[in-house]
Amino acid sequence: MKRLALLATAASAYLLAAWNVAPGFYDGFAPQQPYNWVCPPVHISGNVPPSSGHLVIKVINGVSDANSAFTDDGQVVIGFLPGAFNVTGKTSITVDIKPVSPCPKPPGLTFATNTYLITADTPLVKKPNLVMRYSDIVPAPSTVYFATSADGPWKSIGALNEAQPFTIDTTTDQLGYFAGGYPSNAVSHGGPSSQVLPIVIAVLIVLVLIAGIPLAMMRRRQTSTDEGEAADAEP
Amino acid sequence: MLSVLAARPAIRVGVIATYVLLVEWSRALVATAPHVATAALVLGGFALVLSGAGWPLERLGISRSRLALRILGGCALAVVLLLPAAARANAAPILPAFLALPAVVVSIGEEIAFRGALYAALEDLGGAPVAIIGSTAMWTAAHALSHPPEFLFAVTAAGLLLALWRWACKDLVGPIIGHVIADLAI
Repeated sequence: MKRLALLATAASAYLLAAWNVAPGFYDGFAPQQPYNWVCPPVHISGNVPPSSGHLVIKVINGVSDANSAFTDDGQVVIGFLPGAFNVTGKTSITVDIKPVSPCPKPPGLTFATNTYLITADTPLVKKPNLVMRYSDIVPAPSTVYFATSADGPWKSIGALNEAQPFTIDTTTDQLGYFAGGYPSNAVSHGGPSSQVLPIVIAVLIVLVLIAGIPLAMMRRRQTSTDEGEAADAEP
Repeated sequence: MLSVLAARPAIRVGVIATYVLLVEWSRALVATAPHVATAALVLGGFALVLSGAGWPLERLGISRSRLALRILGGCALAVVLLLPAAARANAAPILPAFLALPAVVVSIGEEIAFRGALYAALEDLGGAPVAIIGSTAMWTAAHALSHPPEFLFAVTAAGLLLALWRWACKDLVGPIIGHVIADLAI
C-alpha cells in the first residue's frame, strides 16, 4: 500500500508539474519557441505577430558578398552565396523579408507556415538556400510553395532533407512569395494530428481497465492457491 | 578495470553516471547542428543502451515473468505521462515522422541507462532511496542542456515517477513502454 501511495503521489506531482508548462514530453530535442502567426489557427492564444527582416549585402570587387537575411524572430532565413546577385551598376543589394497579410488561401493547398514576401533590388544569378520554421502543433509541410503574386498561381519548389526538426529547407531561382505547405488532400508527413492524442489516451485507458481487471483477478487467485497449497503442505 | 568496477560500487556509479551524462549532453549539443539531428538521436540512443552491457537482465528490471502486467503497467504509465498534453491536444506538439525511430531508440536507451544500469549501480551503493533519488537527479541533469529551466520540474517529476515504478514493481519493461509511447505520441 505504501508503494502504491508513493506512486500515486509521484503521478500527481508529475501531472501538476507538466500542467504548468507547454504540453509535450520533448525527449531528444528541445521544445520549440511558439510560432508567430499572421493568421493563427483558431485554438492558438497569445499569438505574437511575426517579424520582418532586412539586409544590405555589400558588393566587393564586382561580386555580391555572402550573407544571410532573416526575420527577427528567426522564422525565415535565406542564405546567399558569393556572387548570388547580378550586381551590374550596384554597390550594395537590399533584401527584405515581410510576412504577408492577409494570408493567401489558395484552393487545394494548406499552408503550414506564414506566407513571406522576399524581395531584392536586383535579380538572382545563383540559387539561395531558404529555411522556413514551422509550428510544432500543426502537421508538417511537405514542400515549399512559390508564387510571384500573393494571388498565385502557386507552384511547389520542393524541399530538401530537414536540417533541423520543425524546419523546411529548399533552394529557389527567383524571389517572391514563399510558404511551407502540402496539398489539402494529402496526408502530411508530420505524423498524426494532435486530435489523435485524446483517442490514444482513451484506448490506453480502456486497454488497461479491460485487461488489467482479469489479470489482477488471476494473479490474486494464483496467490491464494499458492498460499492454500503451502498451508496444506505444513505438517 | 572491470574487476575494480565490480568490487567498488562508488566507482561503478561514477563511471556509469559520467558516461550517461556525457552521452546525453553530447547528443543534445550535436543535435543542434544542421542535418545531424536524426543521426545524433539514434547514435546517442544506442550509446545509452550500451550502459546496460554487462548487467544481468534481471538486475536491470527486465524479465519475462508477469510480462502482461508489465506491458499493461507501461500503458498505464503512458496514460499518466500523456494526460497533460491530451487535455490540451490542440496545443500539443506533433512529432515529425522522421523523428519516430530516433524517439523509440532514445526512449529505450534512456530507460536502460537511467532506470536500468544507473539505478542498479546506485542500489548497490546505497539501497533503493539512493537509487530513486540519484537516478532522478542524473536524469534531470542530463536534460538540462536540451530543455529550458521551466521544463525541468516536469522532467524531474517524470523521472521520479518512472524510478518509483522501477522500485515498486522491480520492473523496467513498464517504464520502457510508457516512455516509448509518450515520445511517439508527442
